[in-house]
Amino acid sequence: MDRFGIGWRPELAAGILSNLHDIDVVEVIAEDYLSVPQSKMRALRTLSKQVPVVVHGVSLGMASSVPVETKRLDKLARLVEELRPEAWSEHLAFVRGGGHEIGHLAAPPRTASTIEGAAKNLTSARQIVGALPAVENIASLIDPPGSRYDEPAWISEILSLSGTELLLDLHNVYTNAVNFGFDPFDFLARIPWNQVTMIHIAGGEWITSDSSCGTRRMLDDHLHDVPVPVYDLLRAAGTRAPRPLTVILERDGLYPPIQTLLVQLQTARNALAEGRALQPRHQGVV
Amino acid sequence: MSSALFEAFLAKIYVDAKARTKFLADPLGEAQRAGLSPEEALDLQNIDWVGLKLASRSFEKKRLRHARGKFRFLRLFGRQ
Repeated sequence: MDRFGIGWRPELAAGILSNLHDIDVVEVIAEDYLSVPQSKMRALRTLSKQVPVVVHGVSLGMASSVPVETKRLDKLARLVEELRPEAWSEHLAFVRGGGHEIGHLAAPPRTASTIEGAAKNLTSARQIVGALPAVENIASLIDPPGSRYDEPAWISEILSLSGTELLLDLHNVYTNAVNFGFDPFDFLARIPWNQVTMIHIAGGEWITSDSSCGTRRMLDDHLHDVPVPVYDLLRAAGTRAPRPLTVILERDGLYPPIQTLLVQLQTARNALAEGRALQPRHQGVV
Repeated sequence: MSSALFEAFLAKIYVDAKARTKFLADPLGEAQRAGLSPEEALDLQNIDWVGLKLASRSFEKKRLRHARGKFRFLRLFGRQ
């Protein structure tokens, strides 16, 4: 059965808790709970008794030829052990190199080396944390230098080598499609849907280069409403996904009233259901 | 290809404005001085220039938010 939820943010907490009848699952950011007082952990455990929780990491840097530091995985392992979430996930990104902290998710070169590095990092994560994370495709403002694979092929190789599941961020697919000129529906046609179990939806905005004749690109900032093309992609996902999907709406700021987010969640439910309806063999999944 | 050195070079030009300026002035020379292979240096010469400027600007904004403590992911990056 498909489920729909929202990313847990302190600013949204009251709205989420008062609308749990419309929210099937919440996603918490792992790093918000890696070094917190017991009172905050107790609050999180209480939350997990009211609604299913999934954990989402943002700082490991899984898709790198450099191994993830064990101490970072140890912290994740302690959180997972304490909270026992349904699942956890991380990004196919690199976030540091040579002592430089980038401060956000960066698209690594899509090469055999980063495929192999990601697979090794995922193996380490499974050994230390006790479960494989689902991996998420990221958005980028820069076409990753030194790449030898396009994005669907690179992701598919990592999924094949690691055997893990894909958290498919549809706004990231849309963002990269408009930034780098590919068809997002072709992207969807080329990923292994039997490994897709989670979906992210979000919004962003166009930003403009000061030079280069005002060239503009889409920034995946999670500060804006989910745009129509993302619902179109979700509908397409519904026609392809053989497994139940957990769809999470991400919002990281410029928070609207919770009702606005619930409307977007309902629009997502409708879009996915419309796609499912076109997939007769899997109607039982809905 | 795509060595740790290459990733380190990318991280440096994403976060260090001075290094980025030097790189933009002489991409091949900077790549060679960093010890990258000729193939890697060529990849950097052909870098997505617009993307580099926009991405480095975006990363800088994110780091500034971290530093001000306004960004949610304050503790996420950096040494834990």
